[in-house]
Order: sequence, then structure tokens, then C-alpha cells
Amino acid sequence: MNTGQIISGAGHLALMGWALFGGAFQSEPLPFQVTEVTAISAEEFAALSNAPNNPEAVANVDTPEPPAEGEGVPELSATEDATPEMSQPEASETPPADTVPEPQEPPAPLPEAEVSDAPPVLTPPEEDVAALVPEVSPRPQPRPAPRVAPEPVAQPDPDVEIDEVDQQETTPDAEAAETVKEDTRETAREEATTEIVTEAEENDLASAAPTRSPRPRTRPETPATEAEPTQDAPAPSEPETDENAVNNALAEALGQGQAQTGGTDQGAPSGPPLTAGEKDALRVAVQNCWNVGSLSSEALRTTVVVSVTMSEDSRPVTSSIEMLSASGGSGSAAKQAYEAARRAIIRCGASGFNLPKDKYDHWRDIEMTFNPERMRIK
Amino acid sequence: MKHYVMTLLAALMLWTLPAVAQNGPLRLELTEGVIEPMPFAVPEFVADDAAGAEMGRRIAQVVAADLTGTGLFREIPQDAFISRVTSFSSPVQFADWKAINAQALVTGAVTLDSTGKLVVRFRLYDVFAGQELGDGLQLVGTQDGWRRIAHKVADQVYSRITGEAPYFDSRVVFVSETGPKDQRAKRLAIMDYDGANVSYLTGSSSIVLAPRFSPSGDRILYTSYESGFPRIYVMNVGSAQRRALEQQEGSMSFAPRFAPDGRTVVYSMTRGGNTDLYSMDINSGAGTRLTTAPSIETAPSFSPDGRRIVFESDRSGNQQLYVMPANGGEAQRISFGQGRYGTPVWSPRGDLIAFTKQSKGRFHIGVMRVDGSEERLLTASFLEEGPTWSPNGRVIMFTRETQGAQGSASLYSVDITGRNLREVPTDTGASDPSWSPLQD
Repeated sequence: MNTGQIISGAGHLALMGWALFGGAFQSEPLPFQVTEVTAISAEEFAALSNAPNNPEAVANVDTPEPPAEGEGVPELSATEDATPEMSQPEASETPPADTVPEPQEPPAPLPEAEVSDAPPVLTPPEEDVAALVPEVSPRPQPRPAPRVAPEPVAQPDPDVEIDEVDQQETTPDAEAAETVKEDTRETAREEATTEIVTEAEENDLASAAPTRSPRPRTRPETPATEAEPTQDAPAPSEPETDENAVNNALAEALGQGQAQTGGTDQGAPSGPPLTAGEKDALRVAVQNCWNVGSLSSEALRTTVVVSVTMSEDSRPVTSSIEMLSASGGSGSAAKQAYEAARRAIIRCGASGFNLPKDKYDHWRDIEMTFNPERMRIK
Repeated sequence: MKHYVMTLLAALMLWTLPAVAQNGPLRLELTEGVIEPMPFAVPEFVADDAAGAEMGRRIAQVVAADLTGTGLFREIPQDAFISRVTSFSSPVQFADWKAINAQALVTGAVTLDSTGKLVVRFRLYDVFAGQELGDGLQLVGTQDGWRRIAHKVADQVYSRITGEAPYFDSRVVFVSETGPKDQRAKRLAIMDYDGANVSYLTGSSSIVLAPRFSPSGDRILYTSYESGFPRIYVMNVGSAQRRALEQQEGSMSFAPRFAPDGRTVVYSMTRGGNTDLYSMDINSGAGTRLTTAPSIETAPSFSPDGRRIVFESDRSGNQQLYVMPANGGEAQRISFGQGRYGTPVWSPRGDLIAFTKQSKGRFHIGVMRVDGSEERLLTASFLEEGPTWSPNGRVIMFTRETQGAQGSASLYSVDITGRNLREVPTDTGASDPSWSPLQD
């Protein structure tokens, strides 16, 4: 028996042992409740059962005897309840400061000025009254966001410039003088919602809402995005999620595997492939510019596959963009859908996509399938 | 030993997950885009003289207003322009238009030919692709008809970018309303789709209702109380000449609508206390009864192919929508939601039916598939009714009336997605709109 067989056997045994005893096939015990009981005798149980736990229905209720005539009846005295004096305001000798000129001809039959023109002074309610009811606030107005995007975007500050990405304004920082940053203005993505709400739906929501409601909670602050690093500065290492970590490990393993078997397939790109996170980032970047709002209903039923060649600076080569195939619509609709897709690639790729340069062989040629199925009625 | 174990584990991982390996181009599927108005720029159309420059400025304004009014486009104001278009034949500086995020650019020129005709040329550019969208086009018309030319330019731009059929060069006939509710004077009026160029077709001596364009746009059907009872008239739009359609003694006819062939009219007639649907050859006056139910059947509307009719009926005890063959026969109920449904109108595309719905004390304009599925309510208010479709089936215009004794009626339009609800500007109160087909 050679060493390899021994290792293999040992490995399999270890794997089986782990599967059997390592908890792989063990399930969590079902949750159960524990109730403490006490053993009692039959007499005690009978005593408990006969105990008047429930209120008995009372058939005859003693009604209070009416008071005897002339006994205890409060005398009605008209004199006791003196009529309150009508506190009419005294007519002032001098007319109130009213600048309205009196009509000359004919004299208008003005009413007697028995009451003051001054409005009564209302006493404000006591403060503790308001404590009994929730604070009333006007319902938040639906945000007028005509833009529908995959991710909702809160209304940006009015002074912030609208752009494709969130970006913080650069501020002079003496401590970070070593890192040279380009002067950038603060930008934010345009306000957007994730669905179209018609007037009918808005009003239904409004009419169904209670008139009083607690003040809406404040929106949690979105974490400020880092300013885009300059090319000289090292890219900040983002904390890897479990999925990304696994994908990166697989990509590295696959890269090593391909490197070891390199030379057998001349057409295959070398180096590790893009991770799922990097692909998602590219997809989201293009989607942010894929505007289907101006497409016809038929074009919104048309799926187009578009190919593009990327330059090494991660910008699309405009002349290389072409439609490979289209399905679901007429030729005219496919043309509109393709033009929208082309605009998306060019617009959002104008400043370069965020792609790893060491994996250029893997993203040099890209085929994008633009499927607007989810965008038809949203 | 350790090395062997690591090799074994790595081999196992590679064996279980081979699909991650990639050959060929990187493939992505995008399913979530954005919906937002497309920014566009329309510089003033260039001209040779001052009069032409004024015309070029106005035409550019109408083109921009048409596109912006769809809700699908957003005009970039002229003061944001970096480039100035001084010559129609000069190459476009795409970088300048990219810098202000103009995704579409319309350039044009205005000249007057030797006969005094207005000649308008224009080009449409996809700025980010750096190329023209379609070929340049030249339009010739009278100087008085400059707005129609502008609408036609906008129609071309709209169709080339969206792929939808055009609708800007169209008109709307409606009932102009003046005076308080209890003494309201009603006249037939016609205007451009955007509320411009209003002219009146009838006087205010009698009440008129429910005008409807013919499929060719040259005639109008309407109901008038001129004789004290409702009666259907047909009017020639060009000459304003009119005549009453044949009517049986002791009956009242109303709610007329043309068939797609333009020769047949379908309408409601009340006789002996029962209201049913009838069709009539408009020239011979020969009529056919289409329904015989003891209930009220009214508001008929043909499908674009002329084979079916959608109408409202209370035969189920509640006002609902039904579809039947154009020559009568068994009707199939298509509306089943809560509330009352009425005034159905078949879309020019044939895929949707617009309707008025009354539910929970409010009125709605909505659309549904022709089988009644996928009902969507687009609007909601105190009172609204009478939807009419744009020629391309993308926009619905309707009447909205405000509450109270001083309430007034006005026209609104809304995209079939429920977005872009807008009031159509009119000088007086307005109701009962009917959208014409696209003009020649």
C-alpha cells in the first residue's frame, strides 16, 4: 500500500468521521416549554374547584331606597344662583382706533358699538392636554421624484450638484497634505424612487391614513461615501464579505489552476477572473445610465444583446459597440432598445468603469444583455 | 503529508465548482435600469434674417414644449449652452453638448422660399454616440402654419428616440363651458392638442354634448339639445356645415361614435323607457339594433379592427363594461372590480381600454386589457370622466371637474403609465374631449 492510498484513506476516514460526529447531520432540538406542576390531593382539587373564582350572577340587586319626601331633597332657591352679571364691555367714549372712514351720504345705519371690535383673547390650552395625544404632524409629502432607479435615493441637499455618483467635497486638510487630492465638488445622485406611484394610488394611501399619526422617524443617515481616491493613492481595502471572500479565494484558486494548465488553451484569458462583486459593480454602473423612460412600449418588451470592447483604461471603445441579437420586438423596437443600451455604455463609461487592471484580459470583451422585463410597469 | 492534504482539498474544490471558469467575453445581464426624462437641447433654429430668426425661435420653443410635455424628455435651458449653433451645416461640437449632459440635440434652420412658403430643416443627433439619429428632414408650409410644422418636427424627434408613433400634430374637439353651473353655456370648440389655436364650431344657444372625431378627422359627431331632446348631428370640420342623423319618432339618441370605416355610427337610443345600442349607415340612415336587454346600454366604442364593441351596461345591477361583436350578439363582461365602470374607449393600438371608474366616492380614469385583466387606475379626484386616446395610444385626455357651485371643468392628460398628469390649458372651462387622428 503506497503513501497516496494511505493519505487518501485517512482523508476519507476523517471526512466521514467529521460528517458523522462533527455535527453535520445533527439537527437542533425542537424548542419546548417546561411547565412546573404540583401534585395535589383530590380534596385539595375539590376545594379549589368549588372556590368562587368567578363572580356569581346576582339576580336580586338591592336598590337603594328612595329618600323620603321632604327629606334630603335640596331646596331649590332661585336666590342662591344669582344671575351672573353680564360683563359687557363698556362703550368707550372715544371710538376705537378704527381708521375706516365714516360714509358721508347717506349715513349708514351702523350698529351700536356694544361689543368691542377687538377679538377675544383666547387662553392657550394647558400644556398637559397635548401630552394625552400623540404629537400631530402633517403627513410627509410624497417626494416628487420622477426618476425610477434600482436603488431609492434620498433627496439630496439643494446645494449639491447632481451626478452619477455620491462624492464628498474635498476640504483642505493639513494633516493629509501628503496625499494629493484633486479638487472635487460635492455631488450626489439624483433623487429616485423604486416604483411609479400614480395619483390614484397616492390618494388611496392618503385617504386610508389616520388623521393623527406619530411623527415619522427620521431617516437613518446614510454613511458618507469616501472621496474618489486619486490614481496615485493606493486603493482602500474594502472589508470583504463572506461571499466576496469565497469568490476571491475561488478566483485565486482558479487562476492558479489555469496558470498551471496554461498553454493548453491559447484563446482563454490569463489571470484570475472577475469576482462576483466586481461583475456586480460593473453591472450596476451601466444600469445607472440605462434610461428606459423614453422607450416605447414595444421597445420595453425587447431584449438586446450588445457587445463592446474595452480599452485598457476601462473606457468603452465607442466604435466597437454593436448589437449581437434582439428578441421580443420588431426591428424598429430593437433599434430603440439598442440605442438606449449604447447610450448607457457610453455615458457611464465616459470616465472609465471601476475595473481591476490586472484582469484586463477578462473584461476586454463584454457582452451585455439588456432585459427590460422588470421595467415595463414599475 | 500536509502538502498532499492541501492538494486534495484544492482538487476537490476545483472539481465541485468548474462552472466558475470563464472563456470568451465577459457576459452580464442587466435587468434594472432607470426611468427618467431624457435631457435634450433645442437651440433656436438659425435663419437668414430677423423675421426668420423670430420664427426660428418660436419653432424651437414649440418643439421643446412638445417634447417636455410628454414627460419623457427634459429641456436643457438655452443659457446653459456652451456651443452656439450659427450654421445649420456646421459640424456639431459634441463635447460641448456632452458637457451639459444633453443626450439628444435638435438643430434646425428656417428660410422663406421665393413663393413666401416657410421652409424648415432640422437634424437630430445622439450626442453621446456622436452621430445623427435618422436623416435630416425638410418641411414646407405656409407661414401661418408654423406651429404645425413645429409639431411635425417634434413628432419626428419623438418617434426617432422613443419608437412610439407621433401625436403632436393632432387636434382636440371639446365642449367649451362658460358661466355658473346652473346656467352654463356650452359650445363646440376645436384646438391643437396643446391648447393653442382654439376656434368655436357652434353657438351657445343650445347644449351640446360628447363630440367625437371621425377616423379621418374631417367630421365630428355630437349630441345637441337644439330641439329640446337629445339628437345626433354630424358636422364637417372644414366647412362647419352640419346635419341631423335619422331618428325615429318618440326616441332620444345620444352617445354616438364612428366605426373605423367612417361610414357607420354606433349610438344609444332610448325608446319606450329602454336604452339600447344601435348602428346606422351614416349616408342611408339604415339602422340595426345591436342589444335587446331591458337594461341601459350606452357609451359604445369600436375596436380598431371594427370587429368588436365595448360598452357600458347595468344589466348585472351595477354599471359595468361589456364587449360584444360589432354586429351584436352575446356580450362578455370584462370589468369585475368594486365600483361602477363607464365611458369605455378602445385604444388605437387595440391593446387597452380606457374607462371611468367611480369607487368609494371618487372618480378615476383607468386602463385595462381588453379581456379586463391588469386594471390600473391612473388618476383620482372629485369628478372626472370621458377619456379619449391620443392617436398613438400613449396618452389619455379626460375631463376633471372641481367641487362646489363655482366648480369648473377642465381638460387633463396623463401618460398610460400614470405619470405626467398635466392640465391642458384652455381659455374657458372645457369638457368632453375627443382627440383627432394625426393630421396629414
